[in-house]
Amino acid sequence: MVKSYHPETLEEALKILVETHCIPYAGGTDLMVRYRQGPGLVPNFDRPVMFIGHFPELTAISEKNGEFSIGACVPYRDIIRHPHTPEILRQACSLIGAPAIQNLGTMGGNICNASPAGDTLPPLSVLDATLTLRSVSGERKVSFLSFFTGPGKSILRDDELLTCIHFRLPHFTVEGYRKVGTRKANALSKIAFAGFMLKEKDMLSDVRIALGAVAPTIVRSRELENRLIGQPVAELAELMPDLLKSYGKLIQPITDQRSDANYRKTVSLRLIKNFVLKEES
Amino acid sequence: MSQTIQFNLNGKAVFLKTDPMRRLLDVLRDDFSETGVKEGCGEGECGACSVFLNGKLVNSCLVAVGSITGMNVETIVHFQHTQAYRIIEQAFSDAGSVQCGFCTPGMVLAAYALLKENPDPDETDIREAISGNLCRCTGYNMIVDGIKLAAKKGDGKW
Amino acid sequence: MKNSISTPVDRLDGPEKASGRAIYTDDIRPDGLLYARTLRADRPRARILHIRLPDIPVGYFIVDKNDVPGHNRIKMLEDDWPFFAEEVINHVGEPILLVVGPDREKVNVILHGIKVEYEDLPAVLSIKDAIAAKNPIFGDDNCFASYQFQKGDPDPVFTDAKTIIKGEFKTGYHEQAYMEPQGVIGNYVNGKLTVTGSMQCPYYVKNAMVQLTGFPENQVQIIQATTGGAFGGKEEYPSLLAGHVAIAAIKTGKPVKLVLERGEDLAVTTKRHPSISRYRSAVDENGRVIAMEADITLDGGAYAGLSAVVLQRALFAAIGVYDIPNVTVRGRVLSTNQVPSGAFRGFGAPQAFFAVEMHMEQIASELGMNPLTFKEIHLVKQGDTTATGGLLRDEIKIREMLSRVLKMSDYRKKEGIFASGNGRFRSGIGLGLYLHGCGFTGKGEDTIHGTATIRKLTEDRAEILVSNVEMGQGAQTTLRKIVATTLGLPIQNIDYPNPDTDRVPDSGPTVASRTVIIVGHLLESAAKELKARWNENETFSVSKSYRHPSYIKWNQDTLQGDAYPAYSWGVVAVEVQVDTLTYETTIKKVWTVHDVGVAIDEDIIRGQVEGGILQGLGYASIEVMDTANGAYRQHNFTDYIIPTAVDAPVIESELVDNPYEYGPFGAKCAGELPIAGAAPAYAAAVSRALGIPVHEIPVKPEALIKGLKE
Repeated sequence: MVKSYHPETLEEALKILVETHCIPYAGGTDLMVRYRQGPGLVPNFDRPVMFIGHFPELTAISEKNGEFSIGACVPYRDIIRHPHTPEILRQACSLIGAPAIQNLGTMGGNICNASPAGDTLPPLSVLDATLTLRSVSGERKVSFLSFFTGPGKSILRDDELLTCIHFRLPHFTVEGYRKVGTRKANALSKIAFAGFMLKEKDMLSDVRIALGAVAPTIVRSRELENRLIGQPVAELAELMPDLLKSYGKLIQPITDQRSDANYRKTVSLRLIKNFVLKEES
Repeated sequence: MSQTIQFNLNGKAVFLKTDPMRRLLDVLRDDFSETGVKEGCGEGECGACSVFLNGKLVNSCLVAVGSITGMNVETIVHFQHTQAYRIIEQAFSDAGSVQCGFCTPGMVLAAYALLKENPDPDETDIREAISGNLCRCTGYNMIVDGIKLAAKKGDGKW
Repeated sequence: MKNSISTPVDRLDGPEKASGRAIYTDDIRPDGLLYARTLRADRPRARILHIRLPDIPVGYFIVDKNDVPGHNRIKMLEDDWPFFAEEVINHVGEPILLVVGPDREKVNVILHGIKVEYEDLPAVLSIKDAIAAKNPIFGDDNCFASYQFQKGDPDPVFTDAKTIIKGEFKTGYHEQAYMEPQGVIGNYVNGKLTVTGSMQCPYYVKNAMVQLTGFPENQVQIIQATTGGAFGGKEEYPSLLAGHVAIAAIKTGKPVKLVLERGEDLAVTTKRHPSISRYRSAVDENGRVIAMEADITLDGGAYAGLSAVVLQRALFAAIGVYDIPNVTVRGRVLSTNQVPSGAFRGFGAPQAFFAVEMHMEQIASELGMNPLTFKEIHLVKQGDTTATGGLLRDEIKIREMLSRVLKMSDYRKKEGIFASGNGRFRSGIGLGLYLHGCGFTGKGEDTIHGTATIRKLTEDRAEILVSNVEMGQGAQTTLRKIVATTLGLPIQNIDYPNPDTDRVPDSGPTVASRTVIIVGHLLESAAKELKARWNENETFSVSKSYRHPSYIKWNQDTLQGDAYPAYSWGVVAVEVQVDTLTYETTIKKVWTVHDVGVAIDEDIIRGQVEGGILQGLGYASIEVMDTANGAYRQHNFTDYIIPTAVDAPVIESELVDNPYEYGPFGAKCAGELPIAGAAPAYAAAVSRALGIPVHEIPVKPEALIKGLKE
């Protein structure tokens, strides 16, 4: 039986974290599955556990002058219902599990798991989100993409908590989100796609593209996006073959019990092409 | 490391000396004989273990009991004595929504969670609201009909 | 004209289930209860060299083959399936021993402390391996059963035929996915063994326990607990689990519960047999199939189980609903080192209907004919013969049903519009035409002679005594309705407690869609007699035993004659839309008409129809189950995906009345029928939407995209 902590304040939580390197427990929807043992058995957590789902600082969601800030322990349900949540993030959260999961699960958990298939990762990536990480020794802000170092791996130290996710509400003319799941609801992703484009007059002024579940971490390349930025919309089609070839090198999917590498790669490239050229998701 | 955990179960304060990492599902079934809460998968996929936690539908297999200190848990055992339940039960009866019954208590709670927030749901709302509650018997349409009928009979009084 | 018995009543088991008051197996907690967990083989084929146990604390027990007082084999067609592994294990998950004790955590620790040393043996892991038979598991050819029969004289027709069309069709594993995992509780008090559990066939379990223990019959009692879905998955498998808790209860002298957790249930219980079917048809110059040859191979897994009978039903369905004058059907079910395959709604027929329906599509397409027209001209009619030469005596309404489905779905118009579709979203509509032989296959009903009893309890109350169970399909409602209507009593005045073998006669298992047509008919006759003699006594019973109607002629050795006493029929149209960006398919709508004789209750039938169709659609689309080194790759409901309410299409469903003389109120069979046509209708719809042939289910987007050039 592991020790568990139920701190009263975030400060107390950070102290416990530095002392025990415990597992932070927010919604529990992933942890309780990962450590489950079966009916009547206590999940076999291998380290102490600390409940962090109840701090006001971590459960607040706010929007002010286009600056969005989501506490790490805000459940998906509250993100879905917030009036200013960007549509691609709302769609991603609505397609995670089902209502009962959305009432418990948190975006902080989705990020810290660092699963390549985390459904909020592609939208947060194209939103150029910033993450606030706190420990007793202070706070640091890191860019979303720099957070992930591999499947299940991130730069989060074991004395740190992810406390908040920030991003600026973007100005774009085209947005797209597409989850290719194992079924139409309550599904895991075979592929997740998120994108933004800003088309001004006949030019592509900006584009951001991210893909999940098709490589060890999220696929997002500013370098490849830059190849499109500043190009006339009419000429995007010509750039596609080379661009897709380059994306093809970044997309390194696996074959598992839910899909296969060929499908994931082929469809990922089709989603990119369709998004850039067709203006629809 | 047993701890004393306090929460409200069906309107009554309970104090339980137990391992905080135990699943709420096991606590309800083993310590409180709430056998109306079912285990279908243990992974939050099937919804048979649904309960209300502070009024929100959750899968009790995914909740460590230590995380619900001070919260309100309502199960089918209590909910069946409400007027809302009676409307849903009758509607499920009229629509033929029940077959093997293993998913039904969870389905009833999911239906109520929907109707309380959206008393006049359309077909899509209903299907999404029960998308975390698997049923292998009915093909769902007779459950969807039951919820439509309950919405009509309940007439917004949830 | 609608029969008055068909008017729906409220299900009598509804309120106790909706409120959570119904008691399922895992809800039963007797005093002194011990919990059992199973140590299972972690590899497909091996010799057990040594089992190293940790220290076993007082009050905890290891139960294995050495504790079996009788015969360590499940009583079935072949006695090859051990309760507990002996020297050799033959599939991943095969039970070796139980750990039993009062505290589940401690049981778990002991279980994980056991080490088994194996000597691996070469495993047979596919139908191909099984055919090669290099290291046979069963006999010298790995063949659990094989059959062949003929109608007409097909060989010369093939020799002379101008056009011969061949096709190969494959189906995958299919998991029943009942919502309540399997579970049983054993108890042994004063020399009497009692097993309570989630099951379809209390007497199968009883017979298995008698053979296992060597006890006299009156010292074995089996009680069905409220059962949360079964679909065939709780036909034979509960006998194995019951044997485990029986031996554990005898050894410990305490009640012992064994409930599988979902992952364990998925990993070790029986599934629908994967199949490979090869078809060959000779077609004349008028586009008429004049001879058909079907060769169906099933993967039976490690033990014989019910595989031989599953194969029979597949073979008897091999030419579908078509009138083919010359036919050869052969098939075999092979042994592999995989989890045994077993009963699942349809019992072999869905594999055959997928193959024959897709073969008919294929022939039409290769001949340049419209598949609907092609199927229509081959439809059987009253007086035609089945593949086994049985006579289709009763009126056949499939043409009327087909026209109704075509009208409901606006089929011909859609077919035309969809054929010219070329955008990103492509639509398709497909048809499935099917039948189901009612009751046991072949000699089954005439062998078991099921008995049903009704007891008069008071002046206005009677009790049904049968071994058939409510498992969600509505037996509590339909059987009571039959008896209540016949006796002229309110339905609430008919008792029908869950079967207990100490109280009920053996009316046979709850399988083969036989509960209403066979057992319901016995109850109807018993009720008629009881009513006529009602005033004879305060309480008394009337029993009836089944005899085939005299017209049925069947030869089990030659497989010739009437394989079933009657047939129910179905037609289904499925409309899909494929997104050619991702090759994901959406099922837009389903239209269907069934002939189940007379519906005992229209709501119950609608529930069977819609549930069966969705199960069939899942089988054809998203329900992927496959193996790696003998173990299923899908470990839970996150990997093995069944449809949710969002995936499920609206189903427009109608019935035609077509009373059967020997069915209660004219009813025939209904439970399994609706699953048979959905898969080929779906596959045909996808095939037409994309203009490519589909020969395998599940139809995965991964497979559809494979052939594309980017």
